[in-house]
Amino acid sequence: MAMWFELMVMLLAAYSVGLGIGWLIWGRVSNDLGE
Amino acid sequence: MMQMVETWWPLFVVALLLGIAIAWWIFASSRKTQVRDHSGADVLDEGAAPAARNQALIDAAPAAAVQPPVVPPGVAGAGTAVAAAVEAQQIRMAEEAEAAEAEAQSAPPASPSPAGDDLTRIKGVGGKLNELLASLGVTSFAQIAAWNDADIDRIDTQLGRFQGRIRRDSWVEQARLLAEGNTAGYEEKFGKL
Repeated sequence: MAMWFELMVMLLAAYSVGLGIGWLIWGRVSNDLGE
Repeated sequence: MMQMVETWWPLFVVALLLGIAIAWWIFASSRKTQVRDHSGADVLDEGAAPAARNQALIDAAPAAAVQPPVVPPGVAGAGTAVAAAVEAQQIRMAEEAEAAEAEAQSAPPASPSPAGDDLTRIKGVGGKLNELLASLGVTSFAQIAAWNDADIDRIDTQLGRFQGRIRRDSWVEQARLLAEGNTAGYEEKFGKL
């Protein structure tokens, strides 16, 4: 049970990092477009 | 913990990619609300034709200003003469108003040149912009060189997705040098033609 909980927390952390990276990439691309 | 990462790493990669995809989707879709569509011209838009027409009508002399010619009393057929004179004056006023309107509408191309220049020689003007400018009646360097700030603003509002190009690419200065045929001066400032 504890292992699954730990796994879910780590997956959530990975997902959050992905959101941050996506936001950064989008910010850079949209800036290049002059928007 | 490291053992768990080693075992489940594909799952972490998938979660990471999912996060990137969702962030991209959210921000890319929110961007659409900021795109301004200029295709639907508004009467209040600067340079809109109806606005020019309205301004011409405002500038035209009011119909009430028509003064019937003074005819001394007792003149035979005075009624017909007055009616004819008033009609003639009204026709003249209408012609003046039309002329004023036509002048207001053709304001941007101040001095249309019979022989059009190749506007694509201006750096920043390509085929699309050339066509767009031609449709607006801009065909020569002299016309662009004669633009003042108000003209630039008026034309700029009609350039759609090319808005801001006139000032960014210094069209007026480029057109001035090209109209003068000052190739050396042009190339010194804007690079090789």
